[in-house]
Amino acid sequence: MDADIGYKGEIGYQTFLYSNEPEIRSLLMFLVEKLPRETSEASDQPTGKSAVLHRAIAAAINAQLAVSWVPLNCILPLHCETQVQQILGSLLIEVKEYQRDILLPVTTQFPSQSSMVSSILEQHTAELSNTQERDTEWKSQGLLSRLTPQEYHSKKLTRLCKRIKEQLRSAAAPSPESVFSVSRSTSELSDLLQTFRGSGQSDFILNKGTHFTHTQKFTFTQEAAATMTSVNIGRQSGSEPQLQQQEELACLLLQFQQLCNDTDQIAADMKYMRVTTTQVFDELKQRELENAENKKKMQVKKKTIDLLPDADNNLQKLQSEVEESASRVVNLASQWEKHRAPLIEELRRLREICSSKSSTKLSEIKSLHEKIRMATEEAKKKEESYKQLVTELESLPQDVSRSAYTQRILEIVGNIKKQKEEITKILSDTKELQKEINSLTGKLDRTFAVTDELVFKDAKKDESVRKSYKYLAALHENCNQLIQTIEDSGTILREIRDLEEQIETENCNKTVANLERIQDDYKAIRQENSALAAKVREG
Amino acid sequence: MATTEAQLMLSVGLIEKDVNGDTLWVWCYPSISPELRQLLLSKCCLTQDGRDFHTFVFGQFSRTWYYITTAEVQETTALKKVSHFSIAVTAKDFNPEKYAALSRILCRTYVKYGSPVKMMEAYVSVFTKGICQNDENGSFLIKDYDVRKAYLAGSVKDVVSQFGMETIILYTALMLKKRIVVHHPRVEALLEFTRVLPALTWHRKDWSVLHPYVHLTDAELEDLRKCPGYVAGFVDAEVSNRPDLFDVFVHLPDGVITVSQGAKEAMTMGKLHKDIAHVIVQSAQDADRSDSQVIKDISIKTKEVLTNLFALAEACEDSKLTLDALKQHRFPPATENFLFHLAAAEQLLRV
Repeated sequence: MDADIGYKGEIGYQTFLYSNEPEIRSLLMFLVEKLPRETSEASDQPTGKSAVLHRAIAAAINAQLAVSWVPLNCILPLHCETQVQQILGSLLIEVKEYQRDILLPVTTQFPSQSSMVSSILEQHTAELSNTQERDTEWKSQGLLSRLTPQEYHSKKLTRLCKRIKEQLRSAAAPSPESVFSVSRSTSELSDLLQTFRGSGQSDFILNKGTHFTHTQKFTFTQEAAATMTSVNIGRQSGSEPQLQQQEELACLLLQFQQLCNDTDQIAADMKYMRVTTTQVFDELKQRELENAENKKKMQVKKKTIDLLPDADNNLQKLQSEVEESASRVVNLASQWEKHRAPLIEELRRLREICSSKSSTKLSEIKSLHEKIRMATEEAKKKEESYKQLVTELESLPQDVSRSAYTQRILEIVGNIKKQKEEITKILSDTKELQKEINSLTGKLDRTFAVTDELVFKDAKKDESVRKSYKYLAALHENCNQLIQTIEDSGTILREIRDLEEQIETENCNKTVANLERIQDDYKAIRQENSALAAKVREG
Repeated sequence: MATTEAQLMLSVGLIEKDVNGDTLWVWCYPSISPELRQLLLSKCCLTQDGRDFHTFVFGQFSRTWYYITTAEVQETTALKKVSHFSIAVTAKDFNPEKYAALSRILCRTYVKYGSPVKMMEAYVSVFTKGICQNDENGSFLIKDYDVRKAYLAGSVKDVVSQFGMETIILYTALMLKKRIVVHHPRVEALLEFTRVLPALTWHRKDWSVLHPYVHLTDAELEDLRKCPGYVAGFVDAEVSNRPDLFDVFVHLPDGVITVSQGAKEAMTMGKLHKDIAHVIVQSAQDADRSDSQVIKDISIKTKEVLTNLFALAEACEDSKLTLDALKQHRFPPATENFLFHLAAAEQLLRV
């Protein structure tokens, strides 16, 4: 199983039964390393988001519990401001004014105080139920019909009007079977309809009135004629119905023709009127302009006539005056120029300065704005993350003293660093030494070779030189042996150290104690086995 | 008379654009109302983002004609810090050539002396005496610029060559005092085209219906609505979406004339119109006839129609026509309609 997970080390039953510290520690560390990656992620999320949500819900419920309960109808505008605003806003200005200025306060509108509360409550509930009904209807049918609210309402209105009309018509038109019972109601209904129209004769209605009321009354009169004739039928109870119908038809056609002619006539009149109106306006405008022109001309001519008696003189005077005033005007203009030119110069100069300043300032302001915006965004993000982390921190268990552990870890890290430094120093020293050794051996070999040759040359001739050559060779040999032994001793020392380390580790394994225990257990098991075998043989 | 002609001049104003890019109204004589000042600033091409430079534009606003000449200031002049300037002359009469010449003189004087005083001297001398010296050792005389010349300065032949037989629509609209709107993105083309249209109704010689350069601002449109019939030119293509402003719309670059729905009934055309159209087109296509001769031909034909109409009106009591009287003659319906509306335009209908 652990091999499946990936533990690299020997594991067998002995690791668990006869444990020794180093193995167990490595095994546990391996397992611990494996664990947190699987469980820590799952544990973070719930603590972060759900705790926040729960806290939010708790806060909302607490707030609602703090406020005292109020029946739905009496909720203050503070709570449903928007609804009230909408309702108020849909009223006309005149209605609002009426409500504000003229209408008495509610408490004074009642003849008797006792009926006030009940009446108000009833009206409110009626209005509420009305709006609720409309809402439910809109939600159920209105949304299905996919029309805007206004369209839906107008459609509904037309539908209802049609139905009412049909009902009236059907109620007015009698059914052949139950003539007597129905005629009472039809006569009442026809009387009612007639009172709406205000007169009994249908012809009288048709000839009076303008084109537009004709179109309105036409539908009514059609219906009235229908009701009248149908009522007549009902009264006469079915005598010669066909003739009557034909008469009616001819009558109606005549009326229709007349109305068409009237319409055409009126349309033609309107057209004529329109054209003549434009003509009249045109004339009026022209005359007005002519009037103005003539007035001016008259003024000039009047003045000339006044000056006419002494024509030449006056002409001269006029000319000189004109020249004088021309020169005066030019003079004034030059004076004005003296004032105007510096002002314009000033304006232009200031505008230049302003624009050059303002353009740099504008760009500066823009860049500042950008920076501010970015900084605020970053600050927001950081605050959010800070809040999240604070909540997480609070939700974490507090029993573990992390600071002690962190201190120790930091100490160990420091120590390790120091050791590493020392090791690197030693390594560099070793390298240096090795280099020196190499160079020295090289040097030695070279010098020996040179001296060897040198001495060997002379050795053939001279005896003492041959002796010195032999000594030289022996010296070299001995020194080599010395060096060899030193190296060997060094290697042996290293081996000793390694073996000592191995001994240490093996000692920790407590193998001897384990072995004793295993042996004891083995003996016990054998005894048990034999006892069990004896029992089996007996039984 | 030189004096009454000079009295047609109303004022002169100066607009400058300086090196800071500001366009300011810097000087005027004798005075210009703030509203007119605002209008002239908007019409001057210096306030219009400096895209196009129009040397000379003119237009009408509440019966005042304005003529704006714009010039660029060259380096070596007395005017420092001024890059461009415009001179706006307002007057009561329509005479672009006269005022263009006068403005040119004023421009040159201003550039030379750098001060409006000298310019004003020239203006005052024209105003009082009708004459002023121009810098080519000649003189500018008002009486050299007769108003008839201004009326005839446009080219009717160009109009007819562009629209052919459809010119009769423009003719009808002008005769019936309808509202014509012309659109062209370039103001010079607009001015050139629109100024010649009132010549089609030469018997009236009324150029006050001409508003050659209008923008879609409330003040100007309000002013336009006061006139029952007009010829208005717009550079703004948005005007085609304003059917409340026109009975006939002319899209000049495409050469398309559209009659709006409301006016179709009044503008129905019949045999009479075909005749007139023939006359117009034939006369214009004749290479030997000049523009003024073409206008004369058209006016002769118009006179025929009008004499007929007057005769009809004379036959009725107090020489005012009524629709019934017209119906009695049993004209074809289109001709009857046309004569009816024409009588209204010529103020012959009994009210």
